[in-house]
Amino acid sequence: MTRAAGWKESPLVPAIVPVGLLVVWQLASTTGLLPSQILPAPTAVVKAAAELTADGELIHHLAVSTARALTGLVVGGSISFVLGLLCGLSPFARRLLDPTLQMVRTIPHLALLPLVILWFGIGEQAKILLVAWGIFFPIYLNTYHGVVSVDPQLIEMGRVYGMKRWELFRRIIFPGALPSILVGLRFGLGIMWLTLIVAETIAASSGIGYMATQAREFSQTDIIVLAIFVYAGLGKLADSLTRALEHRLLRWNPAYARA
Amino acid sequence: MNLPALRLVEDRDRNRNGAPVSVRELSVAFGQNQVLDRLSLHIEPGEFVAIVGRSGCGKSTLLRAIMGLVQPGGGSIDVDLDAARLVFQEPRLLPWASVRENVAVGAPAGLDAAERDRLVDARLAEVGLADKAEQWPAALSGGQRQRVALARALISQPRLLALDEPLGALDALTRIEMQALVETVWTSEGFSALLVTHDVAEAVALADRVVVMEAGRIALDLPIAVPRPRRHGDAELAALEGLILDRLLGR
Repeated sequence: MTRAAGWKESPLVPAIVPVGLLVVWQLASTTGLLPSQILPAPTAVVKAAAELTADGELIHHLAVSTARALTGLVVGGSISFVLGLLCGLSPFARRLLDPTLQMVRTIPHLALLPLVILWFGIGEQAKILLVAWGIFFPIYLNTYHGVVSVDPQLIEMGRVYGMKRWELFRRIIFPGALPSILVGLRFGLGIMWLTLIVAETIAASSGIGYMATQAREFSQTDIIVLAIFVYAGLGKLADSLTRALEHRLLRWNPAYARA
Repeated sequence: MNLPALRLVEDRDRNRNGAPVSVRELSVAFGQNQVLDRLSLHIEPGEFVAIVGRSGCGKSTLLRAIMGLVQPGGGSIDVDLDAARLVFQEPRLLPWASVRENVAVGAPAGLDAAERDRLVDARLAEVGLADKAEQWPAALSGGQRQRVALARALISQPRLLALDEPLGALDALTRIEMQALVETVWTSEGFSALLVTHDVAEAVALADRVVVMEAGRIALDLPIAVPRPRRHGDAELAALEGLILDRLLGR
């Protein structure tokens, strides 16, 4: 009983299933049960990664994709953040802008792809515009929601204790809205990678998505699978960074305190 | 006049440290609902006045009007708001700021950091939380949070302290401790105090004068001429409490 409970407590328990799957996959590939045109062996993917890293191609595509993602994030994120704050703080701005933004929000941003290609061809603007658009609404909505749902009792306290507008914003409204803003950022980052995958697959001449499309032309399944793993890794990296940010910025909140 | 040992501040200091409040013919209405009806109340510098009454009698509205949080519909209020501080029913601490930063919210503007820290430490020591300065509010108990709120109100050395049922949410023992704390700081600082409470025993234990409100007007204005320190369960206090309760219950 105690021995059984002992190994069940091991920190390696969560790794059993993924490692098991990898072993099964590798066995199926080496025995020929899984043809490499369908799915290459894990070792083949690792080999492709090593080769593409060695000749600099992977790094090049990775750098291009990351630059697009970050540019879209900065452009879309900053505009949506400012508009979210504005509509949250000013009833006039809310009446002026929010109904329009809510209307535009119903357009799936990927539906714009044909139009965007028509405008910009396969240039950088097309991808950045789509990424920025995709990031816009999660951050706008959550910033706005965070600002309007700050505890009015705390705002009243701030006023009674003599805080002026800027101080009220800096010390009460912004920190109060921050948990919600960070949720928006996490959602936005998820949409950012998704948008980039679609845009790079359809309309690009570089980037991870382009690398995968090229590989499809030559049935290089190892490179396609590699591209999928690279995207997954980038998504995970972005998510981990935001979570680290949450732990740091929201450490006052018992719900976010590191266990 | 009989000055008990606890009264550290001489009456002439009370006049300097305490600010007077004058409310004349004050009316406040929310829509059709007349909450305060031509009410007049005067608080002497350094006096401790408690307002009691049933829910909805307008006692909190009176306090909020004095603090400038409710617009009067008629009459006048004479009070120096720059010298006044309010303790709310809830602690209303900033959850993302340490206890130290929360107390510093009430500090006078234009202090350098070292001076502000010194003031915060002194106030936290006064309310018995000297060792909690770097904690988050989430780590404190309800009574401790209200003590932080009290320290935040006291740090600017107010000449009028308004308390809006500040002990209402605390358990019985914590309440009694907090009452003693409020009395101690009032005695040593000499500010005027205006306490709104639904607890008649609390009002009688703390105040120089208890004002009973009914339907937006003052129904009873009763001096509590019992020397301090007062003991819980004192017969004279119990008799006064009975008198006020009879009035409130309409017996």
